[in-house]
Amino acid sequence: MNPTPDTTAPAGNDGSFDPRQAAALLDQATQRARRQFEPAQPWLLVIRGVVVLAVLGAVWLNVRGQHPYQYPTAAVIPFVIAFGVLNLIATLTVRRRATAGVSGRSRLRPAEIAVLTVIWVGVYVVMGVMIGAGVSDRIVYGLYPVTAPLILAGLAWAVITATRADWQNCGTGLAVAITGAVALAAGPAGSWLAAGIGLCVTLLGSAAVIVWRQRRSVVGP
Amino acid sequence: MTADELDPLIHVPTRLRIVATLAALPNGDTLSFTRLQDMIGLTPGNLIIHLRKLEEADYISSQKTRNGTVSITTFALTGHGRTALDAYTQALRDLLGGL
Repeated sequence: MNPTPDTTAPAGNDGSFDPRQAAALLDQATQRARRQFEPAQPWLLVIRGVVVLAVLGAVWLNVRGQHPYQYPTAAVIPFVIAFGVLNLIATLTVRRRATAGVSGRSRLRPAEIAVLTVIWVGVYVVMGVMIGAGVSDRIVYGLYPVTAPLILAGLAWAVITATRADWQNCGTGLAVAITGAVALAAGPAGSWLAAGIGLCVTLLGSAAVIVWRQRRSVVGP
Repeated sequence: MTADELDPLIHVPTRLRIVATLAALPNGDTLSFTRLQDMIGLTPGNLIIHLRKLEEADYISSQKTRNGTVSITTFALTGHGRTALDAYTQALRDLLGGL
């Protein structure tokens, strides 16, 4: 039978726990915990950034030759939907793993989840209403589906995270909303590319900030 | 300053890892015993010994909740514990700067 090691005693053969060892252990344990608690894993953000640029870039290639603007053809719509679904599944899976056993203020409250859900569902309900009302194709299938979700969801996320003093995520939300506003100015075809580039930059920037924060030393400079 | 002056409650490898792990939680969050045990990699009995010592010193707080038939114990670093860890970290910096 293997006895449980006496970890209540200081480490080291001479009974001491060297300050250098302690500093290294403190940094190692902190960085490991930061990585494990992070609900937005940098590798997922990088993949998402590259894929969103590829998908929205493909839509832009698909519509840029249309004069007048009509809508993305059936050739690219499945990719957009598949990206949306896979993105949601991956985000929820990674988030659930990171927050397992964690409870408290950082968890999204039901009201906050409801607000975000209403925004995402509402955007497409309004789109259906606009189609029924005969609004022009350049708005219904161009400017609106790219910019409205980004502006509304980005602003909602920024407000939710600001109330928690989570400034990193607040910045991400604002960057997403700004991306939507810039895309609005790029016209119906250009909005797809502008949104793709803006989201890619935002996601890669978020990944870089998270990696920097995770690797920052507690003891060292 | 010498290594002997470091907070003896924190200056133990396992307790240092526990405190560092709880300090990495977002403010106001708590961590379940099961997840903490999974992250630290200790037997339940051994982990409880360390948690008790830290709780007796008011470095951590625990809360027991019931979810149906399952009882869940969660832990968090207290303000006193965070202050102690900050002081310990500063003491390590001073020591290492002088080495």
